[in-house]
Amino acid sequence: MLTYIVRRLVTAVLILFGASFVVYQLTALSGDPLEDLRGSNAPNRDQLIQQRIDLLDLDTPAPLRYFGWLAGAAKCLVPFAATCDLGQSIQGEPVATALVRAMGNTITLVTAATFLAIVIGVSLGIITALRQYSGLDYGVTFMSFLFFSLPIFWLAVLLKEFGAIGFNNFLADPQISGSTILVVAIASGLIWSLFASRPWARKGIAFVLGAVVAAALLFVLGAVDWFSTPGLGPVVLLVTGVGAAFGIVLLTAGLRNRKALLSALIMVALGLVAYYVVNPFLNGATVWLIVGLAIATVLVGLAVGYVMGGYDRGQSMRAAASTGLLMGLLIVVDRFMVTWPSYVDNPRIRGRPIATVGAETPGLDGGFWINGLDTFTHLLLPTLALLLASLAGYSRYSRASMLEIMNMDYIRTARAKGLSERTVIMRHAFRNALIPLATLVAFDIGALIGGAIITEQVFAFAGMGQLFVQALQRVDPDPIMGFFLVAGILALVFNLLADIVYSFLDPRVRVKA
Amino acid sequence: MRFGRTSKAVGVAAAAALALSACAANTGTETPSETPEGEASGGSIRVVEVNAFSSFNSNSSTGNVDINGKIAYATHSGFVYLNNDLEIVENEDFGTMEVLSEDPLSVRYTVNEGVNWSDGEPVDGGDLLLTWAYSSGFFDDSNNEEGDAATGTTYFDYAGDTSGLGLTERPEIGEDGRSITLNYSEPYADYQIAFGLLSDGGIATPAHVLAEKAGIGDEDALIEAIQSAPEGDLENPTERPDIQALADFWNTGFDTKSLPSDQSLYLSNGPFIASAVTPEQSMTLVRNEDYTWGPTPQADEVIVRYIGEAPGQIQALQNGEVDIIAPQASADTVEQLEGLEGITVQRGNQLSYDHLDLNYSGVFEDENVREAFMKVIPREQLVDTIIRKLNPEAEPLDSQLFLQDAAAYEESASNNGSDAYAEVDIEGARELLDGATPEVRIMYNRDNPNRLNSYTLIAESAREAGFNVVDGGLGASDWGAALGGGTYDAAIYGWIQTGAGVSGVPQIFKTGSGSNFNGFSSPEADELMDELIVTTDPDEQNALQVQIDKLIWDSKYGLPLFQVPGIEAYSDAVTGIEYMPNQTGVWWNVWDWEVVQ
Repeated sequence: MLTYIVRRLVTAVLILFGASFVVYQLTALSGDPLEDLRGSNAPNRDQLIQQRIDLLDLDTPAPLRYFGWLAGAAKCLVPFAATCDLGQSIQGEPVATALVRAMGNTITLVTAATFLAIVIGVSLGIITALRQYSGLDYGVTFMSFLFFSLPIFWLAVLLKEFGAIGFNNFLADPQISGSTILVVAIASGLIWSLFASRPWARKGIAFVLGAVVAAALLFVLGAVDWFSTPGLGPVVLLVTGVGAAFGIVLLTAGLRNRKALLSALIMVALGLVAYYVVNPFLNGATVWLIVGLAIATVLVGLAVGYVMGGYDRGQSMRAAASTGLLMGLLIVVDRFMVTWPSYVDNPRIRGRPIATVGAETPGLDGGFWINGLDTFTHLLLPTLALLLASLAGYSRYSRASMLEIMNMDYIRTARAKGLSERTVIMRHAFRNALIPLATLVAFDIGALIGGAIITEQVFAFAGMGQLFVQALQRVDPDPIMGFFLVAGILALVFNLLADIVYSFLDPRVRVKA
Repeated sequence: MRFGRTSKAVGVAAAAALALSACAANTGTETPSETPEGEASGGSIRVVEVNAFSSFNSNSSTGNVDINGKIAYATHSGFVYLNNDLEIVENEDFGTMEVLSEDPLSVRYTVNEGVNWSDGEPVDGGDLLLTWAYSSGFFDDSNNEEGDAATGTTYFDYAGDTSGLGLTERPEIGEDGRSITLNYSEPYADYQIAFGLLSDGGIATPAHVLAEKAGIGDEDALIEAIQSAPEGDLENPTERPDIQALADFWNTGFDTKSLPSDQSLYLSNGPFIASAVTPEQSMTLVRNEDYTWGPTPQADEVIVRYIGEAPGQIQALQNGEVDIIAPQASADTVEQLEGLEGITVQRGNQLSYDHLDLNYSGVFEDENVREAFMKVIPREQLVDTIIRKLNPEAEPLDSQLFLQDAAAYEESASNNGSDAYAEVDIEGARELLDGATPEVRIMYNRDNPNRLNSYTLIAESAREAGFNVVDGGLGASDWGAALGGGTYDAAIYGWIQTGAGVSGVPQIFKTGSGSNFNGFSSPEADELMDELIVTTDPDEQNALQVQIDKLIWDSKYGLPLFQVPGIEAYSDAVTGIEYMPNQTGVWWNVWDWEVVQ
């Protein structure tokens, strides 16, 4: 195994050398760095051209200039020497600084989108696989392909128009008209009936139920002015918590496991208590306080599950910990919602919370909750755009993989020996269906840090993609090489990682040393 | 049964919760931190720029980016600035510019008492001397050769034109310590904007800071260094260690994408001062509290946000995230902006214009062929298809020297014979060609849609008259290199004017000059241009330019086509924004921007 990894790493370094040379030459050939000056009629045109030539060392042929760059970049391999020199941009900024900043921004942008795309995409894929060729299957397939094929810049413009400008207009005067309620009710009814299974009568009931629930919800929320002063409150917290407890136990242990169910419900009760006890301390919250509380919650959950004891303690512990985390999340969400009105009324927000560009409102300094909301309102649209565009891949892959697994002999065996459908799907099928996805996920993470070029451009997000595009427009090779180094190394590393993980997950695959 | 008990427990819990929520919901969350920051009363204005800020020295070659110049404009003061009629305005609250003698030209600059940098140090003679030192190239002795042939050094990497102040001798600081006198070796036409022009950053670099950062001591040491270092001489390059140290820091020391922790690196002597920078995203300028020597700013805060794409800028304006935008003018941009409520759109000309130049060699060596070709250029149609949808009032440009915004434009246009080419005259062209079908290769940037459209329309019209037009369009990265290379007969491209001053004229039209790509040469015009650049009286300058313009038209140089339109838009939340054609753009009256209360 070790020799295999070493061999791969050595190949990777050779590939990087070759590829960086090619990329450098392509960049140098991609345009004329003097273009804007050549046609200039400035009295000091020749002087400006000379300055640019000196700055970019244009008198040295590109293949030779590459080695100059390489000599600087090679110093980065010397550990702890701090002699790393990736060159500088045409405006004199060291590339290393620019890279660190751009990577930070890109990671903020893509993390939520990637995580959500994986969770939602995989769930949709599994559900559609279980209900193959149903209306739901066709519906999800249609929608995911629709979003997949929409050009992202256009999707982004639509999101800005309706998700930001339209929604902000709505928030200025949150009146929900009867026709809106009707449309939403019908849409909700259709979605509910899609999820309901075959007998038409049942689908009909689901439709009516979905429509009524949606209409009632909208009406009540509108009536209590919820959109201006949102919040969950203890009742919603309790109801959602109990629902989540049942859901989690259903998936992880089965409702027959009373001890697990009881542990989960205890966590809901504790959560409700925490809602009253912890909230007053949350005014001066920091990220670390929240993380600390989350860890404490998990520990308490594990303890509760452990104390409940029983035949399989592990199940109770897992159920209690997950339920506790979910309750914690709800409390935090509630807290953000309660802060919403003071965020919207902040003079820097001017009553228009959802943003179309950038990563933050300049000059806004209102503590953890206000700035957290600010990040949320800025990341919402780009995250949605990225999410919608990448859902298709995950849902399709996981659906195909799940379908294949469900037709395996061992699934039939599992059913034949009388296991419950939940156990068959969750334990035997689902886990194995995830194995091929490991490769996909590893690749995607590697690729995403390389930047979502178009999304960043449209939402004016200063990430890796923008760094690359701007440098390319100026025919400025150093930032491009920095970008390439990061993107290239990540691609190679995650490629290797995917192969290694695969061999761990699937004992049938063995790496030949 | 045990489940029954559980559900009972749940029921009790729910009832308890309901009871609790009825009396005391949201304990603790009732007192969220209510926006502790007190907003200042003059309000904040948010303006969009395309490029991101990168340097507090906009005059160096690395810092020479439009946004840096605009930040420098808002955070400095100078002796003069340009208003949006392109007139030179003197800021006498800052200091005075006094012409001591016309010939030999001698100008004294004096900073008023009480004008300070934001660290409390006065703006004085040392600062003026330093400004002169970097913008005159006085010490440079580099021969601009490559490799072993290279001798000497270019000290300050000044991105501006040194030819004006290069004529001055080393100035002395006046008795009051706040003035210097520039003595020109010959009269210099653009002397008014040669020194301390606000769009060049005014008096931009604090001498006491540079002296300290360069490690040569205090401001007196800097004055001493500039006064004592030998003048640059190409023949005898020598080393000037102190000047070198100053220049090294000046060239790159002010380059930064974030706000330095050392406040001396971004001192202000203008209406605003930088207060926060988020790299590549935004920059915040706040009012400079001490500033009283110039137009008084209305807003307390100006926030610059960087948005690269025009549609993104428009939607941000529509969403109320920003107040002022100046996107690239295109048909789509105009259409979108027109459809918005609560947005004011201002249109006008930019100082750049497209033109068609004919080479004075090859097929166009014959004046009749040039004239015939000029007769077939459908200028009216070009303006109609390319420009009018952006600026309905646009007209073809009728002068090679003056733009339509200039006062002398009308006079020159009616005098230079441009009316002969107002209409397409196919018949006239045929007569001049007398049956010949010359092959004309037209070079243009085919990646620029406007130029491509121009070419298409011109080619169509020229073919009617019998010209055999060959498409010589090149890609965006190649056309510039082809200029003046003799691989084409005619070229369509653009020039940019600065809006003030005349030193740009010989750069294009003088025999053998750097940007004279078509080989235009007229001894008479050369003489007039020599006279022009030593004429300091604006009226005489105009009179000379009118003559030169006519000579250019008479020699069948080619044709100016149209001025490029510009667009600015702002929301109802702000007022005081006025259209400015030059590169300072909306920023020219940043002090007049006001929040509507």
